[in-house]
Amino acid sequence: MADKRFVATKVEVEGREETRIVEMPEFEPAPWTADTRMDVVGQCVPRVDALEKVTGRAVYTADTARPGMLYAQIVRASIAHGRVKTLDLAAALEIPGVRAVLLREEVDGIRYDGGQLFDQTIRFAGQPLAAVCAETQEAANRGARAAIVRVETKPHAVSSEAALRPNAPKVPSQGNTSKNSPRVTARGDVDAAIAAADVVVRREYRTPGALHSAMEPHGAVAEWLGDQLTVWESTQGIFNTRSDLAEAFGLKLTQVRVIKEYMGGGFGAKNGAGAPTYVAAALARKTKLPVRCVNHREGEQVDSGNRPGTTQRVTLAAARDGTLTAIAMDAEIAMGVGGWFAGPGKIYNELYECPNVRTTETFVYTHMGAMASFRAPGHVEGAFGLECAMDALARDLAIDPLELRRKNYAAHDQEKNRRYSSKRLDECYRLGAERFGWTAFSAAAEPRMKYSAASAARIDRSSDEHRDIRRDAPAENGRFKRGKGMSSISWGAGGGPPAYATVRLNPDGTVDVLTGSQDLGTGARTVFAQIAAEALGANVHDVRAIIGDTERLPYTGNSWGSQTTASVGPAVRMAAEDARRKLFDAASAMLDASHDALEARQSIVRVRGKPDRAMTFAEIGDKLGDVMIIGQGSRGPNPDHTALFSFGAQFAEVEVDTETGRVRVLRIVAAHDSGRIINPRLAESQLEGGILQGLGFALFEERVLDESLGLPLNPTMHDYKIPTLSDLPAIEAFFVPGVDTVANHTGAKGLAEPPIIGTAPAIANAVADAIGVEVLELPLTPWRVLAALERRS
Amino acid sequence: MQITVNGTSHDLDVAGHETLLGVLRDRLSLTGTKLSCGRGECGACTVLMKTGGAPRRAVYSCLTLAAASDGATITTIEGLGTPTMHPLQEAFIAHDAVQCGFCTPGQILAATALLDENASPSEADIRAALSGNLCRCGTYPKIVLAVQEAARRMASGG
Repeated sequence: MADKRFVATKVEVEGREETRIVEMPEFEPAPWTADTRMDVVGQCVPRVDALEKVTGRAVYTADTARPGMLYAQIVRASIAHGRVKTLDLAAALEIPGVRAVLLREEVDGIRYDGGQLFDQTIRFAGQPLAAVCAETQEAANRGARAAIVRVETKPHAVSSEAALRPNAPKVPSQGNTSKNSPRVTARGDVDAAIAAADVVVRREYRTPGALHSAMEPHGAVAEWLGDQLTVWESTQGIFNTRSDLAEAFGLKLTQVRVIKEYMGGGFGAKNGAGAPTYVAAALARKTKLPVRCVNHREGEQVDSGNRPGTTQRVTLAAARDGTLTAIAMDAEIAMGVGGWFAGPGKIYNELYECPNVRTTETFVYTHMGAMASFRAPGHVEGAFGLECAMDALARDLAIDPLELRRKNYAAHDQEKNRRYSSKRLDECYRLGAERFGWTAFSAAAEPRMKYSAASAARIDRSSDEHRDIRRDAPAENGRFKRGKGMSSISWGAGGGPPAYATVRLNPDGTVDVLTGSQDLGTGARTVFAQIAAEALGANVHDVRAIIGDTERLPYTGNSWGSQTTASVGPAVRMAAEDARRKLFDAASAMLDASHDALEARQSIVRVRGKPDRAMTFAEIGDKLGDVMIIGQGSRGPNPDHTALFSFGAQFAEVEVDTETGRVRVLRIVAAHDSGRIINPRLAESQLEGGILQGLGFALFEERVLDESLGLPLNPTMHDYKIPTLSDLPAIEAFFVPGVDTVANHTGAKGLAEPPIIGTAPAIANAVADAIGVEVLELPLTPWRVLAALERRS
Repeated sequence: MQITVNGTSHDLDVAGHETLLGVLRDRLSLTGTKLSCGRGECGACTVLMKTGGAPRRAVYSCLTLAAASDGATITTIEGLGTPTMHPLQEAFIAHDAVQCGFCTPGQILAATALLDENASPSEADIRAALSGNLCRCGTYPKIVLAVQEAARRMASGG
């Protein structure tokens, strides 16, 4: 590799940095800078697949029907821990329409959640044990209900506290903490800095287990043709699903095709094959008929991933002027039976300039469904603790919360001591505060908080104390109290290789963009079409993005980690540039002009400065006949020693009913920095969606398990509350101007996850401001708010 | 039973416990009507139903027995705005009131029922009428804008 065709590069995915080997692209286009003329990128092009969605023509996995298809239902465990003694499906097979059952011994070697699919050792309520398939979904459901499962129950642990007790029931046999626990990340001398600090704040925060609750549950349709398996899957990762299936069924990659056309949301939970995928494929093989297996809602809520609950003990130490001198946090994360190590610690390490930081994370296995990535995993939980503690520190120092954050602004990546590709968080603060009408506490016309000078003296508080933070404020009459709060956001969202794309100019002048990506509802199809249209000089309405098929499309990674635009976008651009180069090669002969004299816009190639010498793409295509213009593109490496982050700041105003404890969010202002925005309207939709999920996390969302029975108590859409339209606050969400030419040549970074990170802490800080007492546990349900108010009085 | 769906009459033999949702999706292959919770909690299965002389109204088809729909006239998303798009469909596209799109048919049909009843709804009316239709992607701000614009356009005859 003397010519360095293959190089190593760093890619951060969901807070994890990975090293990848990447082939250097043949050429890297010059970055689109802030001054580059852009015709299509940056425009509010309507979502290209919206027509299919508003007319009901979009076919989702759950809608996919194949000739002769059977329907499957999974038999699930109804205890949290124990063992199956007998599993009798004889009654199920008697039900008219039931065609087959699938048992443990028929799925040997298929891994699921780190264990064996249909493991007869039960580790959580809802664990798949067997499956039934039938001619109708209803018969399959009845069949699954007719299963007679005799179990031996064992004691369970459905919280990290229970699982960490001495002699706690073991979740995996090797113990209830993960091998890498405690995971410690440290710099400087934290203990010395805390001992020497002017002010120390200590708190214990709790965040709940939260459920993705995508409208379309996990599901798959599987069909075998000989030894060829085709699976339609509601997935964020067609290639991951393909390799999962190949491994499970002992197939070559060429024997598995995974297709994802439309999907009803993912939010991190659909990153590979799930129980329904394996069940559909195994039953289809057994019955020699296509099989559809889609989770019913309860199965979805208990066994499709979750945001793990956390307990975070936070210590912040600062000098009297507000300079942070130490940040310490230790946490327990209730993983469920498996998953990966998305801890709250990372944001403590990266958000502020601070020489002394230590985070200690203990990942605890519990008798619950396995965690999965959930929109900004780890950061959402961590931001709640860190950003609420920052407000507590601001109050103790009598410094405006925004000023405190500015004071500790990280000019470079603190964790890895390297530059940022770009960072406009200061602009987010400035413009967000301006739009919100943020005023410093001290400057407020009607002071919401008053402090005596003594409050800036050294204060060392017990962690679980719910203090009256407005003890010096005049008594406020009236049932409804209003307050304001804010928060900061950072998230590694630079994307990276590998990703590949092909751009094909059809003889009639239309354009196909082929790339094996996924559109969860984010707008990826539209973004790819815009980037290709811009680079090729095509009319965007003539560009079609074809995605979601492992057999026919070039590789891209999962649509997770706010990766897609910044990973696949540059590959699409390069493919379109390559196609344009070839198109100009062809056109220069037809127009009798040099390559350099040509330009393309709106699907017309023109000789610069000679308006009468032009040909449309269709005219060129017509002359070329069946000779195709095909461009190839790939994603190049990321810049070395550079942090590729998106940023944001959110501001919330709330009203608290002090009689009922109900919190109403009145408005949210969100200012974000994600580099170049390809489509402002679709990007705004992502911000609003993230904010609303953050609002749900702040106020309503909480998976509840009965500690004594170990069973989920709210596995439904009614009892697990997600925001409805009536909860909608006024939202003003926008991006600060700027492109990131260092990150990649499109100038764009990821934007879908950052907005959910800041919403809950901004709301919680606003509630504390309103009622004069901190609520340290999410969600801020009426009873928690009332309990906090009672503690104050 | 006899049921008219999107202008076409169907004679069907249904079991007593079959739902309208099951009939639409599995028998008539009208999969624009979605199954998400199956118990009247999310609104993804919303369709318009007209029985007797009463005006059409939005119903959760997952909670409506097929047999109880005998003689009814049903409009699903596939039957709305044909041959030309309904102003609500156009406004949902224009305002990007669509992300993953799974809840969208139900949202549009619930909004259609609202505009049938109230040609110029206030924002509070829209919030109340559509609060039974969940959207996990969070398109709510755009849905409000889309319904308001559709109402204006319909009022002005556009």
